[in-house]
Amino acid sequence: MRKIREKIFEILIKMLTLFSVLILAFVVIFIFKESLTFFKEVSLLKFITGRRWNPLGPPEELSILNIIWGTVYVSLVAIAIALPIGIGTAVVLSCYTNRNVKRLIRGIVDILAGVPSVIYGFVGLLVVVKFFEVNLSLASGESVLSGGIVLSVMLLPFIVSTCDESMEKIYREYSQSSRALGVSKSYMIRNLLLPASKRSILASVVLALGRGMGETMAVMMVIGNASIIPRLLGKAQTIPSLIALEMGMAEVGSLHYHALIASGFVLMIMLLIINGLLYVIKNRMDI
Amino acid sequence: MREKLKDSVFKIWIGLSTSLVFIVVVYIFLYIFINGAGSINGEFLFSAPKGMPIGSEGGIFPAIVGSLLLMVIACAFASILAISTAIYLVFYCTSEKVKRLIHLIIQCMSGVPSIILGLFGYTLLVLHLGFGRSLISGGITLGVMIFPYIQVRVEKTLIEVDKAVITSSYALGVSKVYTLFKLIFPMCKFDIVSAITLAGGFAIGAAAPVILTAAVIFAPVPESIFSPVMALPFHLYILTGEGISLEKAYGTALVLMLILLVINIISVILNFTRKEHE
Repeated sequence: MRKIREKIFEILIKMLTLFSVLILAFVVIFIFKESLTFFKEVSLLKFITGRRWNPLGPPEELSILNIIWGTVYVSLVAIAIALPIGIGTAVVLSCYTNRNVKRLIRGIVDILAGVPSVIYGFVGLLVVVKFFEVNLSLASGESVLSGGIVLSVMLLPFIVSTCDESMEKIYREYSQSSRALGVSKSYMIRNLLLPASKRSILASVVLALGRGMGETMAVMMVIGNASIIPRLLGKAQTIPSLIALEMGMAEVGSLHYHALIASGFVLMIMLLIINGLLYVIKNRMDI
Repeated sequence: MREKLKDSVFKIWIGLSTSLVFIVVVYIFLYIFINGAGSINGEFLFSAPKGMPIGSEGGIFPAIVGSLLLMVIACAFASILAISTAIYLVFYCTSEKVKRLIHLIIQCMSGVPSIILGLFGYTLLVLHLGFGRSLISGGITLGVMIFPYIQVRVEKTLIEVDKAVITSSYALGVSKVYTLFKLIFPMCKFDIVSAITLAGGFAIGAAAPVILTAAVIFAPVPESIFSPVMALPFHLYILTGEGISLEKAYGTALVLMLILLVINIISVILNFTRKEHE
Protein backbone atom coordinates (compact mmCIF):
# COMPACT_ATOMS: atom_id res chain seq x y z
CA MET A 1 0.00 0.00 0.00
CA ARG A 2 2.75 2.41 0.98
CA LYS A 3 4.77 1.45 -2.07
CA ILE A 4 1.83 2.31 -4.31
CA ARG A 5 1.37 5.70 -2.71
CA GLU A 6 5.06 6.44 -3.17
CA LYS A 7 4.86 5.43 -6.80
CA ILE A 8 1.72 7.50 -7.45
CA PHE A 9 3.30 10.58 -5.89
CA GLU A 10 6.45 10.15 -7.92
CA ILE A 11 4.51 9.79 -11.16
CA LEU A 12 2.36 12.80 -10.29
CA ILE A 13 5.40 14.96 -9.63
CA LYS A 14 7.03 13.81 -12.85
CA MET A 15 3.93 14.51 -14.89
CA LEU A 16 3.47 17.99 -13.44
CA THR A 17 7.11 18.79 -14.12
CA LEU A 18 6.82 17.56 -17.68
CA PHE A 19 3.66 19.62 -18.08
CA SER A 20 5.34 22.82 -16.87
CA VAL A 21 8.37 22.36 -19.07
CA LEU A 22 6.14 21.62 -22.04
CA ILE A 23 4.07 24.76 -21.47
CA LEU A 24 7.21 26.86 -21.38
CA ALA A 25 8.62 25.29 -24.52
CA PHE A 26 5.21 25.46 -26.12
CA VAL A 27 5.03 29.26 -25.83
CA VAL A 28 8.08 29.59 -28.06
CA ILE A 29 7.02 26.93 -30.54
CA PHE A 30 3.49 28.28 -30.73
CA ILE A 31 4.56 31.85 -31.50
CA PHE A 32 7.00 30.52 -34.08
CA LYS A 33 4.37 28.35 -35.78
CA GLU A 34 1.80 31.13 -35.87
CA SER A 35 4.22 33.60 -37.40
CA LEU A 36 5.29 31.10 -40.09
CA THR A 37 1.90 31.63 -41.71
CA PHE A 38 2.78 35.28 -42.06
CA PHE A 39 6.28 34.75 -43.37
CA LYS A 40 4.86 32.61 -46.17
CA GLU A 41 3.12 35.69 -47.51
CA VAL A 42 5.57 38.44 -46.65
CA SER A 43 9.27 37.71 -46.57
CA LEU A 44 11.08 38.14 -43.29
CA LEU A 45 13.55 40.52 -44.90
CA LYS A 46 10.82 42.79 -46.20
CA PHE A 47 9.07 42.65 -42.84
CA ILE A 48 12.06 43.89 -40.87
CA THR A 49 13.56 46.29 -43.42
CA GLY A 50 10.45 48.06 -44.66
CA ARG A 51 9.39 51.25 -42.95
CA ARG A 52 5.66 51.45 -43.42
CA TRP A 53 3.12 50.00 -41.03
CA ASN A 54 -0.33 50.52 -42.40
CA PRO A 55 -2.53 47.58 -41.52
CA LEU A 56 -5.80 49.17 -42.54
CA GLY A 57 -4.60 49.87 -46.08
CA PRO A 58 -5.15 50.09 -48.90
CA PRO A 59 -2.49 49.20 -49.78
CA GLU A 60 -1.96 47.06 -46.73
CA GLU A 61 1.67 47.52 -45.75
CA LEU A 62 3.20 45.65 -42.86
CA SER A 63 6.84 46.34 -42.12
CA ILE A 64 8.30 47.16 -38.78
CA LEU A 65 11.73 48.72 -39.16
CA ASN A 66 10.59 51.99 -37.57
CA ILE A 67 9.04 50.07 -34.72
CA ILE A 68 12.17 47.98 -34.14
CA TRP A 69 14.19 51.22 -34.04
CA GLY A 70 11.66 52.69 -31.63
CA THR A 71 11.99 49.67 -29.33
CA VAL A 72 15.78 49.81 -29.28
CA TYR A 73 15.95 53.62 -29.13
CA VAL A 74 13.74 53.97 -26.05
CA SER A 75 15.73 51.30 -24.21
CA LEU A 76 19.06 52.89 -25.11
CA VAL A 77 17.90 56.30 -23.92
CA ALA A 78 16.68 54.71 -20.69
CA ILE A 79 20.00 52.94 -20.14
CA ALA A 80 21.97 56.11 -20.87
CA ILE A 81 20.01 57.83 -18.09
CA ALA A 82 19.91 54.95 -15.63
CA LEU A 83 23.49 53.70 -15.94
CA PRO A 84 25.38 56.56 -14.22
CA ILE A 85 22.78 56.72 -11.45
CA GLY A 86 22.75 52.96 -11.06
CA ILE A 87 26.54 52.63 -10.89
CA GLY A 88 26.77 55.51 -8.42
CA THR A 89 24.22 53.89 -6.16
CA ALA A 90 25.93 50.51 -6.46
CA VAL A 91 29.26 52.08 -5.44
CA VAL A 92 27.69 53.62 -2.36
CA LEU A 93 25.92 50.38 -1.59
CA SER A 94 29.02 48.22 -1.84
CA CYS A 95 31.72 50.49 -0.40
CA TYR A 96 30.31 53.26 1.76
CA THR A 97 27.64 51.69 3.91
CA ASN A 98 27.34 49.55 6.99
CA ARG A 99 24.90 46.67 7.29
CA ASN A 100 21.82 48.64 8.31
CA VAL A 101 22.15 51.36 5.70
CA LYS A 102 22.81 48.69 3.12
CA ARG A 103 19.58 46.98 4.05
CA LEU A 104 17.70 50.29 3.83
CA ILE A 105 19.03 51.12 0.35
CA ARG A 106 18.41 47.59 -0.89
CA GLY A 107 14.86 47.84 0.47
CA ILE A 108 14.32 51.09 -1.42
CA VAL A 109 15.65 49.58 -4.64
CA ASP A 110 13.43 46.52 -4.14
CA ILE A 111 10.42 48.79 -3.74
CA LEU A 112 11.32 50.42 -7.03
CA ALA A 113 11.36 46.96 -8.63
CA GLY A 114 8.02 46.05 -7.09
CA VAL A 115 5.98 49.00 -8.36
CA PRO A 116 3.78 47.81 -11.26
CA SER A 117 4.64 49.18 -14.67
CA VAL A 118 1.21 50.69 -15.17
CA ILE A 119 1.86 52.94 -12.15
CA TYR A 120 5.10 54.13 -13.73
CA GLY A 121 3.21 54.82 -16.93
CA PHE A 122 0.54 56.71 -15.02
CA VAL A 123 2.97 58.88 -13.07
CA GLY A 124 5.09 59.32 -16.21
CA LEU A 125 2.12 60.56 -18.19
CA LEU A 126 1.02 63.01 -15.52
CA VAL A 127 4.45 64.25 -14.48
CA VAL A 128 7.09 63.73 -17.18
CA VAL A 129 4.92 64.19 -20.26
CA LYS A 130 3.17 67.17 -18.71
CA PHE A 131 6.51 68.71 -17.75
CA PHE A 132 7.68 68.57 -21.38
CA GLU A 133 4.44 70.02 -22.63
CA VAL A 134 4.46 72.91 -20.21
CA ASN A 135 8.15 73.77 -20.06
CA LEU A 136 9.47 72.96 -23.50
CA SER A 137 6.28 74.07 -25.22
CA LEU A 138 6.25 70.99 -27.40
CA ALA A 139 3.07 70.14 -29.24
CA SER A 140 3.09 66.82 -27.47
CA GLY A 141 5.19 65.69 -24.57
CA GLU A 142 4.76 62.08 -25.58
CA SER A 143 8.16 61.20 -26.94
CA VAL A 144 11.07 58.80 -26.96
CA LEU A 145 12.71 60.93 -24.28
CA SER A 146 9.71 60.67 -21.92
CA GLY A 147 9.62 56.93 -22.54
CA GLY A 148 13.34 56.74 -21.80
CA ILE A 149 13.01 58.68 -18.55
CA VAL A 150 10.12 56.55 -17.28
CA LEU A 151 11.83 53.35 -18.36
CA SER A 152 15.12 54.39 -16.75
CA VAL A 153 13.47 54.38 -13.32
CA MET A 154 12.22 50.86 -13.97
CA LEU A 155 15.65 49.63 -15.10
CA LEU A 156 17.53 51.10 -12.11
CA PRO A 157 16.91 48.12 -9.79
CA PHE A 158 18.37 45.68 -12.35
CA ILE A 159 21.48 47.81 -12.85
CA VAL A 160 22.01 48.45 -9.15
CA SER A 161 21.64 44.84 -8.05
CA THR A 162 23.79 43.39 -10.86
CA CYS A 163 26.62 45.89 -10.27
CA ASP A 164 26.42 45.81 -6.50
CA GLU A 165 26.83 42.04 -6.37
CA SER A 166 30.26 41.95 -7.99
CA MET A 167 31.45 45.31 -6.65
CA GLU A 168 31.00 44.11 -3.12
CA LYS A 169 33.07 41.03 -3.86
CA ILE A 170 35.87 43.08 -5.42
CA TYR A 171 35.80 45.64 -2.63
CA ARG A 172 36.13 43.00 0.05
CA GLU A 173 39.02 41.43 -1.79
CA TYR A 174 41.12 44.59 -2.16
CA SER A 175 40.02 47.03 0.51
CA GLN A 176 42.44 45.86 3.20
CA SER A 177 45.54 45.77 1.05
CA SER A 178 44.83 49.13 -0.52
CA ARG A 179 44.16 50.65 2.88
CA ALA A 180 47.43 49.20 4.13
CA LEU A 181 49.20 50.88 1.21
CA GLY A 182 47.72 54.19 2.30
CA VAL A 183 45.58 54.57 -0.81
CA SER A 184 42.47 56.65 -0.27
CA LYS A 185 39.13 54.92 -0.63
CA SER A 186 37.90 57.06 -3.47
CA TYR A 187 41.17 56.61 -5.41
CA MET A 188 40.93 52.87 -4.98
CA ILE A 189 37.33 52.81 -6.21
CA ARG A 190 38.04 54.99 -9.22
CA ASN A 191 41.21 53.26 -10.33
CA LEU A 192 40.69 49.71 -9.20
CA LEU A 193 37.10 48.85 -8.42
CA LEU A 194 35.36 50.50 -11.37
CA PRO A 195 37.76 49.12 -14.01
CA ALA A 196 37.54 45.71 -12.38
CA SER A 197 33.76 45.67 -12.49
CA LYS A 198 33.63 46.55 -16.20
CA ARG A 199 32.22 43.19 -17.08
CA SER A 200 29.43 43.24 -14.54
CA ILE A 201 28.51 46.75 -15.66
CA LEU A 202 28.31 45.41 -19.19
CA ALA A 203 26.19 42.52 -17.96
CA SER A 204 23.82 44.95 -16.26
CA VAL A 205 23.51 46.99 -19.47
CA VAL A 206 22.62 43.91 -21.49
CA LEU A 207 20.14 42.74 -18.85
CA ALA A 208 18.54 46.18 -18.74
CA LEU A 209 18.38 46.31 -22.53
CA GLY A 210 16.45 43.05 -22.59
CA ARG A 211 14.08 44.17 -19.86
CA GLY A 212 13.56 47.57 -21.45
CA MET A 213 12.79 46.21 -24.89
CA GLY A 214 10.14 43.90 -23.47
CA GLU A 215 8.43 46.51 -21.32
CA THR A 216 4.89 47.26 -22.41
CA MET A 217 2.65 49.41 -20.25
CA ALA A 218 4.90 52.15 -18.94
CA VAL A 219 6.39 52.81 -22.36
CA MET A 220 3.10 52.55 -24.19
CA MET A 221 1.50 55.22 -22.04
CA VAL A 222 4.13 57.87 -22.68
CA ILE A 223 5.64 57.50 -26.16
CA GLY A 224 2.66 58.39 -28.29
CA ASN A 225 2.51 55.19 -30.34
CA ALA A 226 3.04 56.50 -33.86
CA SER A 227 5.00 54.23 -36.15
CA ILE A 228 7.18 56.92 -37.69
CA ILE A 229 10.95 57.18 -37.74
CA PRO A 230 11.76 57.71 -34.06
CA ARG A 231 13.43 60.95 -32.97
CA LEU A 232 14.40 61.91 -29.44
CA LEU A 233 11.62 64.45 -29.04
CA GLY A 234 9.14 62.82 -31.39
CA LYS A 235 6.61 60.08 -31.00
CA ALA A 236 7.54 56.48 -31.62
CA GLN A 237 6.18 52.98 -31.36
CA THR A 238 7.63 49.86 -29.75
CA ILE A 239 6.87 46.23 -30.54
CA PRO A 240 5.24 45.42 -27.18
CA SER A 241 2.97 48.46 -27.33
CA LEU A 242 2.11 47.69 -30.95
CA ILE A 243 0.94 44.23 -29.92
CA ALA A 244 -0.93 45.43 -26.85
CA LEU A 245 -2.74 48.16 -28.78
CA GLU A 246 -3.63 46.40 -32.00
CA MET A 247 -4.03 42.73 -31.15
CA GLY A 248 -7.52 43.16 -29.78
CA MET A 249 -8.68 45.00 -32.90
CA ALA A 250 -7.04 42.82 -35.53
CA GLU A 251 -9.45 40.47 -37.24
CA VAL A 252 -8.60 36.90 -36.25
CA GLY A 253 -6.73 35.08 -39.00
CA SER A 254 -6.14 38.22 -41.06
CA LEU A 255 -2.71 39.24 -42.32
CA HIS A 256 -2.66 42.01 -39.71
CA TYR A 257 -3.24 39.45 -36.93
CA HIS A 258 -0.41 37.27 -38.16
CA ALA A 259 1.85 40.28 -38.64
CA LEU A 260 1.39 41.16 -34.98
CA ILE A 261 2.36 37.66 -33.91
CA ALA A 262 5.31 37.85 -36.28
CA SER A 263 6.44 41.09 -34.67
CA GLY A 264 6.22 39.32 -31.31
CA PHE A 265 8.40 36.63 -32.83
CA VAL A 266 10.97 39.20 -33.98
CA LEU A 267 11.03 40.70 -30.48
CA MET A 268 11.51 37.26 -28.96
CA ILE A 269 14.43 36.48 -31.30
CA MET A 270 16.08 39.81 -30.44
CA LEU A 271 15.68 39.11 -26.73
CA LEU A 272 16.98 35.56 -27.18
CA ILE A 273 20.15 36.97 -28.78
CA ILE A 274 20.49 39.50 -25.95
CA ASN A 275 20.03 36.81 -23.31
CA GLY A 276 22.60 34.61 -25.07
CA LEU A 277 25.02 37.53 -24.93
CA LEU A 278 24.29 37.97 -21.24
CA TYR A 279 24.96 34.27 -20.66
CA VAL A 280 28.36 34.56 -22.39
CA ILE A 281 29.32 37.68 -20.42
CA LYS A 282 28.29 36.12 -17.11
CA ASN A 283 30.18 32.91 -17.81
CA ARG A 284 33.35 34.81 -18.65
CA MET A 285 32.88 36.82 -15.46
CA ASP A 286 33.38 33.84 -13.22
CA ILE A 287 36.73 32.85 -14.69
CA MET B 1 45.21 69.36 -6.89
CA ARG B 2 43.76 67.48 -9.84
CA GLU B 3 43.43 64.45 -7.66
CA LYS B 4 41.43 66.46 -5.18
CA LEU B 5 39.09 67.71 -7.90
CA LYS B 6 38.54 64.19 -9.21
CA ASP B 7 37.86 63.05 -5.69
CA SER B 8 35.18 65.69 -5.12
CA VAL B 9 33.51 65.09 -8.49
CA PHE B 10 33.40 61.40 -7.75
CA LYS B 11 31.88 61.91 -4.33
CA ILE B 12 29.29 64.34 -5.62
CA TRP B 13 28.37 61.87 -8.36
CA ILE B 14 27.76 58.91 -6.09
CA GLY B 15 26.04 61.06 -3.47
CA LEU B 16 23.68 62.54 -6.05
CA SER B 17 22.89 59.15 -7.56
CA THR B 18 21.90 57.62 -4.27
CA SER B 19 19.83 60.61 -3.23
CA LEU B 20 18.13 60.62 -6.62
CA VAL B 21 17.02 57.03 -6.11
CA PHE B 22 15.59 57.96 -2.72
CA ILE B 23 13.86 61.03 -4.08
CA VAL B 24 12.26 59.14 -6.96
CA VAL B 25 10.83 56.45 -4.67
CA VAL B 26 9.51 58.95 -2.15
CA TYR B 27 8.14 61.15 -4.92
CA ILE B 28 6.20 58.34 -6.62
CA PHE B 29 4.69 57.21 -3.34
CA LEU B 30 3.79 60.66 -2.08
CA TYR B 31 2.41 61.64 -5.48
CA ILE B 32 0.01 58.73 -5.53
CA PHE B 33 -0.87 58.82 -1.84
CA ILE B 34 -1.55 62.54 -1.68
CA ASN B 35 -3.50 62.73 -4.92
CA GLY B 36 -5.35 59.47 -4.41
CA ALA B 37 -6.34 59.84 -0.78
CA GLY B 38 -9.16 62.26 -1.60
CA SER B 39 -10.95 59.94 -3.99
CA ILE B 40 -11.07 56.91 -1.74
CA ASN B 41 -14.27 56.41 0.20
CA GLY B 42 -16.83 53.70 0.82
CA GLU B 43 -18.64 54.31 -2.41
CA PHE B 44 -15.46 54.21 -4.46
CA LEU B 45 -14.36 50.93 -2.93
CA PHE B 46 -17.67 49.09 -2.88
CA SER B 47 -19.69 50.12 -5.89
CA ALA B 48 -19.47 49.45 -9.61
CA PRO B 49 -18.27 52.07 -12.10
CA LYS B 50 -21.02 54.29 -13.41
CA GLY B 51 -21.47 57.35 -15.53
CA MET B 52 -20.93 58.20 -19.16
CA PRO B 53 -18.28 57.32 -20.30
CA ILE B 54 -18.29 54.43 -17.90
CA GLY B 55 -15.85 54.91 -15.02
CA SER B 56 -16.29 58.66 -14.68
CA GLU B 57 -18.45 58.09 -11.61
CA GLY B 58 -19.03 55.31 -9.13
CA GLY B 59 -16.37 52.96 -7.86
CA ILE B 60 -14.04 50.15 -8.71
CA PHE B 61 -15.40 47.21 -6.73
CA PRO B 62 -15.55 44.77 -9.70
CA ALA B 63 -11.97 45.67 -10.61
CA ILE B 64 -10.70 44.96 -7.10
CA VAL B 65 -12.48 41.60 -7.00
CA GLY B 66 -11.38 40.79 -10.55
CA SER B 67 -7.74 41.54 -9.81
CA LEU B 68 -7.77 39.49 -6.61
CA LEU B 69 -9.41 36.53 -8.37
CA LEU B 70 -6.89 36.70 -11.22
CA MET B 71 -4.12 36.68 -8.65
CA VAL B 72 -5.55 33.68 -6.80
CA ILE B 73 -5.97 31.63 -9.98
CA ALA B 74 -2.49 32.58 -11.21
CA CYS B 75 -0.93 31.67 -7.86
CA ALA B 76 -2.79 28.36 -7.64
CA PHE B 77 -1.87 27.37 -11.18
CA ALA B 78 1.75 28.48 -10.93
CA SER B 79 2.49 27.19 -7.44
CA ILE B 80 1.24 23.64 -8.06
CA LEU B 81 3.46 23.37 -11.12
CA ALA B 82 6.39 25.28 -9.64
CA ILE B 83 6.50 23.32 -6.38
CA SER B 84 6.23 20.01 -8.27
CA THR B 85 9.04 21.01 -10.59
CA ALA B 86 11.18 22.08 -7.65
CA ILE B 87 10.53 18.81 -5.80
CA TYR B 88 11.34 16.83 -8.92
CA LEU B 89 14.61 18.67 -9.48
CA VAL B 90 15.76 18.42 -5.87
CA PHE B 91 14.51 14.98 -4.79
CA TYR B 92 13.81 12.84 -7.85
CA CYS B 93 15.92 13.95 -10.76
CA THR B 94 19.11 11.93 -10.98
CA SER B 95 20.42 13.02 -14.36
CA GLU B 96 22.55 16.16 -14.42
CA LYS B 97 21.71 16.68 -18.08
CA VAL B 98 17.96 16.76 -17.49
CA LYS B 99 18.45 19.11 -14.57
CA ARG B 100 20.49 21.50 -16.66
CA LEU B 101 17.99 21.38 -19.51
CA ILE B 102 15.04 22.20 -17.22
CA HIS B 103 17.00 25.01 -15.60
CA LEU B 104 17.87 26.42 -19.01
CA ILE B 105 14.25 26.36 -20.15
CA ILE B 106 13.06 28.06 -16.95
CA GLN B 107 15.77 30.69 -17.21
CA CYS B 108 14.87 31.43 -20.82
CA MET B 109 11.25 31.67 -19.82
CA SER B 110 11.87 34.23 -17.12
CA GLY B 111 13.37 36.48 -19.80
CA VAL B 112 10.33 36.34 -22.07
CA PRO B 113 8.47 39.65 -21.78
CA SER B 114 4.94 39.57 -20.42
CA ILE B 115 3.42 40.87 -23.65
CA ILE B 116 4.63 37.76 -25.49
CA LEU B 117 2.92 35.63 -22.85
CA GLY B 118 -0.18 37.74 -23.36
CA LEU B 119 0.05 37.10 -27.08
CA PHE B 120 0.36 33.38 -26.40
CA GLY B 121 -2.57 33.40 -24.00
CA TYR B 122 -4.67 35.37 -26.47
CA THR B 123 -4.07 33.13 -29.47
CA LEU B 124 -4.14 29.79 -27.64
CA LEU B 125 -6.51 30.20 -24.72
CA VAL B 126 -8.81 32.98 -25.85
CA LEU B 127 -9.14 32.05 -29.51
CA HIS B 128 -8.10 28.44 -30.20
CA LEU B 129 -9.47 26.88 -27.03
CA GLY B 130 -12.43 29.23 -27.02
CA PHE B 131 -12.19 30.38 -23.40
CA GLY B 132 -12.77 33.95 -24.53
CA ARG B 133 -11.54 36.91 -22.53
CA SER B 134 -12.03 35.41 -19.13
CA LEU B 135 -10.80 34.88 -15.63
CA ILE B 136 -9.38 31.50 -16.56
CA SER B 137 -7.44 32.71 -19.63
CA GLY B 138 -5.97 35.62 -17.70
CA GLY B 139 -5.22 33.51 -14.64
CA ILE B 140 -3.34 30.87 -16.59
CA THR B 141 -1.38 33.47 -18.58
CA LEU B 142 -0.35 35.25 -15.39
CA GLY B 143 0.42 31.84 -13.89
CA VAL B 144 2.87 31.08 -16.70
CA MET B 145 4.42 34.49 -16.08
CA ILE B 146 5.06 33.95 -12.36
CA PHE B 147 5.99 30.26 -12.64
CA PRO B 148 9.77 30.83 -12.98
CA TYR B 149 9.70 33.29 -10.10
CA ILE B 150 8.13 30.78 -7.67
CA GLN B 151 10.07 27.78 -8.96
CA VAL B 152 13.49 29.39 -8.49
CA ARG B 153 12.72 30.44 -4.91
CA VAL B 154 11.13 27.15 -3.84
CA GLU B 155 14.00 25.17 -5.30
CA LYS B 156 16.48 27.35 -3.43
CA THR B 157 14.61 26.75 -0.16
CA LEU B 158 14.47 22.99 -0.70
CA ILE B 159 18.20 22.84 -1.48
CA GLU B 160 18.99 24.75 1.69
CA VAL B 161 17.28 22.14 3.89
CA ASP B 162 19.93 20.40 5.95
CA LYS B 163 21.05 17.31 4.02
CA ALA B 164 21.66 15.46 7.31
CA VAL B 165 17.97 15.65 8.18
CA ILE B 166 17.01 14.04 4.90
CA THR B 167 19.62 11.29 5.02
CA SER B 168 18.81 10.43 8.64
CA SER B 169 15.16 10.24 7.75
CA TYR B 170 15.88 7.88 4.86
CA ALA B 171 18.24 5.87 7.04
CA LEU B 172 15.47 5.31 9.55
CA GLY B 173 13.46 3.73 6.78
CA VAL B 174 11.07 6.66 6.45
CA SER B 175 9.65 6.91 2.94
CA LYS B 176 10.36 9.80 0.61
CA VAL B 177 6.76 11.03 0.56
CA TYR B 178 6.50 10.92 4.34
CA THR B 179 9.82 12.76 4.70
CA LEU B 180 8.62 15.42 2.28
CA PHE B 181 5.25 16.02 3.88
CA LYS B 182 6.07 15.62 7.56
CA LEU B 183 9.61 16.91 7.70
CA ILE B 184 10.59 19.11 4.79
CA PHE B 185 7.36 20.99 4.09
CA PRO B 186 6.85 22.07 7.70
CA MET B 187 10.42 23.36 7.68
CA CYS B 188 9.98 25.35 4.45
CA LYS B 189 6.36 26.35 4.59
CA PHE B 190 6.95 29.99 5.47
CA ASP B 191 9.47 30.42 2.69
CA ILE B 192 7.22 28.78 0.15
CA VAL B 193 4.17 30.83 1.12
CA SER B 194 6.28 33.99 1.13
CA ALA B 195 7.52 33.21 -2.41
CA ILE B 196 3.96 32.64 -3.60
CA THR B 197 2.72 35.85 -1.99
CA LEU B 198 5.42 37.94 -3.62
CA ALA B 199 4.70 36.33 -6.98
CA GLY B 200 1.04 37.19 -6.42
CA GLY B 201 2.00 40.84 -6.03
CA PHE B 202 3.89 40.62 -9.28
CA ALA B 203 0.82 39.12 -10.99
CA ILE B 204 -1.69 41.62 -9.66
CA GLY B 205 0.29 44.57 -11.02
CA ALA B 206 0.86 43.10 -14.46
CA ALA B 207 -1.24 44.77 -17.10
CA ALA B 208 0.19 43.65 -20.42
CA PRO B 209 -0.94 39.99 -20.31
CA VAL B 210 -4.30 40.93 -18.86
CA ILE B 211 -5.16 43.44 -21.61
CA LEU B 212 -5.20 40.67 -24.17
CA THR B 213 -6.54 37.77 -22.17
CA ALA B 214 -8.94 38.81 -19.45
CA ALA B 215 -9.79 42.43 -18.93
CA VAL B 216 -12.68 44.36 -20.38
CA ILE B 217 -13.67 47.97 -19.83
CA PHE B 218 -16.74 47.08 -17.84
CA ALA B 219 -17.94 43.81 -16.33
CA PRO B 220 -19.82 42.99 -13.17
CA VAL B 221 -18.22 40.84 -10.49
CA PRO B 222 -17.53 37.58 -12.38
CA GLU B 223 -19.97 34.69 -11.90
CA SER B 224 -17.83 31.90 -13.29
CA ILE B 225 -14.24 31.40 -14.35
CA PHE B 226 -15.33 31.88 -17.95
CA SER B 227 -16.66 35.40 -17.40
CA PRO B 228 -14.66 38.42 -18.47
CA VAL B 229 -13.42 40.55 -15.59
CA MET B 230 -12.25 44.03 -14.76
CA ALA B 231 -8.72 44.42 -13.45
CA LEU B 232 -7.16 47.32 -11.56
CA PRO B 233 -4.13 47.91 -13.83
CA PHE B 234 -6.28 47.82 -16.96
CA HIS B 235 -8.91 50.06 -15.39
CA LEU B 236 -6.19 52.55 -14.47
CA TYR B 237 -4.86 52.45 -18.02
CA ILE B 238 -8.29 53.06 -19.52
CA LEU B 239 -9.12 55.88 -17.10
CA THR B 240 -5.90 57.75 -17.93
CA GLY B 241 -5.43 56.69 -21.55
CA GLU B 242 -8.92 57.70 -22.58
CA GLY B 243 -8.91 60.70 -20.25
CA ILE B 244 -12.10 59.59 -18.52
CA SER B 245 -11.50 60.72 -14.98
CA LEU B 246 -8.22 61.72 -13.44
CA GLU B 247 -9.63 61.72 -9.93
CA LYS B 248 -10.81 58.10 -10.24
CA ALA B 249 -7.46 57.19 -11.81
CA TYR B 250 -5.57 58.51 -8.77
CA GLY B 251 -7.87 56.51 -6.53
CA THR B 252 -7.39 53.34 -8.57
CA ALA B 253 -3.62 53.75 -8.52
CA LEU B 254 -3.67 54.19 -4.76
CA VAL B 255 -5.84 51.10 -4.23
CA LEU B 256 -3.44 49.06 -6.38
CA MET B 257 -0.47 50.34 -4.38
CA LEU B 258 -2.23 49.60 -1.08
CA ILE B 259 -2.99 46.02 -2.12
CA LEU B 260 0.67 45.55 -3.04
CA LEU B 261 1.70 47.05 0.26
CA VAL B 262 -0.48 44.56 2.14
CA ILE B 263 0.96 41.68 0.11
CA ASN B 264 4.50 42.79 0.87
CA ILE B 265 3.79 43.25 4.56
CA ILE B 266 2.39 39.70 4.69
CA SER B 267 5.54 38.32 3.16
CA VAL B 268 7.74 40.30 5.56
CA ILE B 269 5.74 38.95 8.51
CA LEU B 270 6.11 35.41 7.13
CA ASN B 271 9.85 35.92 6.96
CA PHE B 272 9.92 37.10 10.58
CA THR B 273 7.87 34.13 11.77
CA ARG B 274 10.28 31.80 10.04
CA LYS B 275 13.27 33.38 11.77
CA GLU B 276 11.59 33.06 15.14
CA HIS B 277 10.93 29.39 14.49
CA GLU B 278 14.58 28.72 13.84
